Amino acid sequence: MAVDSRSFAHRIWRTVASIQTGVVLLILVVILSAVGTVVLQRPVTDPDEMQTAYSPQALRILDAVGLTDVFHSWWFLGLVLLVSLSIVAASIDRFPNSWRYFSRPYKYPDESFRRALRPQKTIPIADEESGIVAAQRALHSIGFKPERVVREDHFGIFAERHRISELAVYIVHASLLLIFFGTVIDGIWGWRASINLNEGQTSNIVELHDGSTRTLPFSIRCDTAGQDNYKDGSPKKWWSKLAIVEDGRDVLKKEIVVNDPLLYRGVRFYQSSYGPNGKVDKLALVAVPMTPAAAGSSAAANSSQKQEIGLAVNQTASLDADTTVRFAEFFPDYAVRDGQVYLRSNQMENPAAHLVVTTKVAGASKDFDIWFPEIEGVSDNSKSPWQFQATDLKMGHFTGLQVSHEPGQWGVWSGVVVMGIGLAFVFYVIHMRFWVVPVLDAESGTYSLWIGGSANRNREAFEQRFTDLVAAIQEELKTVPKTIPTEQESQPGNKQSAQKLETIS
Amino acid sequence: MAPAKVEQQQPATGMTLIVMVGLAIAFLLFMAFLNVVKSGNLLSETNLLFATLIFYCGAGALYLGFGVTGIESYVRFASLATWLGLIANTAAVAHRWYEAGHAPFATVYEMLLSFVWTLAVLTLIAEKKYHVKVIGTVTMPVAIVGVVLMQLLRTEVHPLVPALQSTWLHVHVTLAMLAYAACALSFALAMMFLIQDHMQTETFLAVTSASTLGIYASIVLTRFEKWGGLNLVAWDPDRKAEVFLSKGVRLFVTVPDLGWLMTLTLLGVATPLVCYGVARWKNNNSYLTVANRAVFLSILLQVMTLAMFLVRARDSRYSSLDADGLFPTTLAASPFILSGLVGGVFISLLYLLLVWRRTDLERLLPTSDNLDRITYKTICLAFPLLTLMIAAGAYWANQTWGSYWSWDPKETWAAITWLVYALYLHMRITRGWRGRRAAYFAIAGFAVVMFTFFGVTYLLPGLHAYA
Repeated sequence: MAVDSRSFAHRIWRTVASIQTGVVLLILVVILSAVGTVVLQRPVTDPDEMQTAYSPQALRILDAVGLTDVFHSWWFLGLVLLVSLSIVAASIDRFPNSWRYFSRPYKYPDESFRRALRPQKTIPIADEESGIVAAQRALHSIGFKPERVVREDHFGIFAERHRISELAVYIVHASLLLIFFGTVIDGIWGWRASINLNEGQTSNIVELHDGSTRTLPFSIRCDTAGQDNYKDGSPKKWWSKLAIVEDGRDVLKKEIVVNDPLLYRGVRFYQSSYGPNGKVDKLALVAVPMTPAAAGSSAAANSSQKQEIGLAVNQTASLDADTTVRFAEFFPDYAVRDGQVYLRSNQMENPAAHLVVTTKVAGASKDFDIWFPEIEGVSDNSKSPWQFQATDLKMGHFTGLQVSHEPGQWGVWSGVVVMGIGLAFVFYVIHMRFWVVPVLDAESGTYSLWIGGSANRNREAFEQRFTDLVAAIQEELKTVPKTIPTEQESQPGNKQSAQKLETIS
Repeated sequence: MAPAKVEQQQPATGMTLIVMVGLAIAFLLFMAFLNVVKSGNLLSETNLLFATLIFYCGAGALYLGFGVTGIESYVRFASLATWLGLIANTAAVAHRWYEAGHAPFATVYEMLLSFVWTLAVLTLIAEKKYHVKVIGTVTMPVAIVGVVLMQLLRTEVHPLVPALQSTWLHVHVTLAMLAYAACALSFALAMMFLIQDHMQTETFLAVTSASTLGIYASIVLTRFEKWGGLNLVAWDPDRKAEVFLSKGVRLFVTVPDLGWLMTLTLLGVATPLVCYGVARWKNNNSYLTVANRAVFLSILLQVMTLAMFLVRARDSRYSSLDADGLFPTTLAASPFILSGLVGGVFISLLYLLLVWRRTDLERLLPTSDNLDRITYKTICLAFPLLTLMIAAGAYWANQTWGSYWSWDPKETWAAITWLVYALYLHMRITRGWRGRRAAYFAIAGFAVVMFTFFGVTYLLPGLHAYA
């Protein structure tokens, strides 16, 4: 029974770790992602648009199986988790082998290996040592560090480069997991929200995309915001001067633009929109007195009494000793019904401004309602002791900010960097190995030098390199003196270190 | 047997090339007519592009001529023409860059400009470094289609909207162009591998016929209007934009009779496929000869349809079923139909080239092993570029939209492309997929790339609205 369950677990493990499973899972991810781009997705589509695009039944079915929000559905998340699991399992399954390969390099080729290896080449030599020395020099000349490998009855040379390349694919897989890890962290602890701030407004409440609100541990204030245009009128730049307020103090100030957000305590503020908020910042007026007293005076005196004033809503200015004017109301879009003025919408469609002029006449104050534009039956524009001309209307603006908190993004970015490095290793760093073994032909009693090489990728380029190496060895053989045996005896240390190597390997 | 039939063909003469170049020149004259209408000063971008087009067309024709006749000197002149075209293309890019004040990556037009440039550079590299001389037979026509499309798309310089004002735009788009061009190259190499791998000519027949059938079927199914009309998108010449009835609903005008012609051509391109099916079913190869004749006929029909389309859809006014009055339309309003029609003619011609000159082609191409390897190498180049492109895009998105990944269709399709090539690499490295299966994979990968590049932009709405 125990054996059974173990073999069952083993079978499961083999299935999860197999490349087929990985491929099937990836194909599923591909298909479902493609579906997610073709079917309209709820998070980014207007509900009305969804209604018009699909019939109610179809929409119900799509909603039920989650096809209207593929990328946030539980099964898509499950699929990505399965992919991660498959990557982990496949890596664990194959890693020990690669690690053995990496940690215990194969330094002395046995006969069967020598027979099968491509490329290989055998060249005649006078004696063992001269061949070895020539090979060492040639390997040095192409930038390798050859080492002598000595076994009981024979010896040879081994040289290699970029052994790390054997592990590169695990670096890439690990980086992918790091990226997944980062996105999962963001999925759990991250949030995205938006906030609209009028110029001068301070707030610490942001609205999450599901409609709920979130209170920040600090406040953000928008000092000013604006839009710069190109000559053709299309927007060139949106900017907002923001300040972070904490404990009543401004702790950070920054002008943000699109592509350059403000970051404070892990919360990022992005410029996303800008527009008029329907509120008046300042109304500029020219006031001219029309009182009976003034009517008698000269035109010059009249013009000297002309005043230019600027008013914000609810602000009052005095025109002379007895008269004041107050900016009472502003309607960005007004409508009149039954002698009353109503606010129709907050769009700047049909604006109206309401001023109240108060004059003290014989101790009693009298109010005149001034309207721009003049509204029949509502305004007393002509009866007012002062006539007004509106010269300019400065509207207030709001800035729309996206707010996000992505604690996992550092996992993502480090994953990306690691993946870049890993891919560079996978594709462009090649593990190259050379073996050189002197061989004695028992029949003829002559020596020859067997040279073999192997590369884990880009074998064609490696073959060229191999041919070059063989040529270099042949070249070196011509210059190596054939008095090697004595030389070898004079260097016992060489052999000893080679002996040590043998015990390691 | 098909190979035997090929050997019965007459040896190649210069005539074929002359006919080809003649066709190209006829096409150029037509384009010249289009250009004269727009022309301003001599060294304008349009004229530079026109020079690019002429040279690329010449190069394409000469590469084709080389493919047909195997005369080495054609390749030398083809390279020369490619070089000249590249110079004109570079000048057009520089002109655009100077005029716009930003690298030409902001609109589909500018992207195509950069894409064609990259493709020409890679073609020259493949030819000089890897000695794949006939690569231009495939890449040059792609470049030509690109330049022709550019003529139709809007060309006025738009200042960069705020979201695009970032260094990451350049990084992201440069990487994308390089990656896509490398994918295009791997596609061309994979096709050549299939030829060199003794894939049966009939299979190419079936694929060619099915693709053209797909093109015409999608046009007829979506655009055929009663009484044989063809629906085209209305175009506002003042705003240089499509006319919308309401948000997302385009206004269509109906071009009379063009629908019948399209249906006729649909039948014409379906015939070879039917013949192929019958040949397979009856196991009778004489039907294949009929099929090859039918391909020839279908090319004539396709050329006729293309000509009629060019004449009828260019700057004319037609009535609409949805609104009263006459509305203008132009070629720029239907870039997909046009590129579909041109693409159909192109792949049918490539098939004819294969039928006529298969043995010569096989002699001229590198060995199948080499082609297989170079395809793999190209994808080894494309994959890291795709990875970096996506990473740069994510970083930029994080700076602009506040999120590094929003499942926007373009993003999703870029990820799908990445996954497809990742699958290719895994199959190749761990399963030892070589040869045909790998070539099919490379071709499928490029299809996904093309969808990501064009399809997503025009068919799926999303944040990548500018490109």
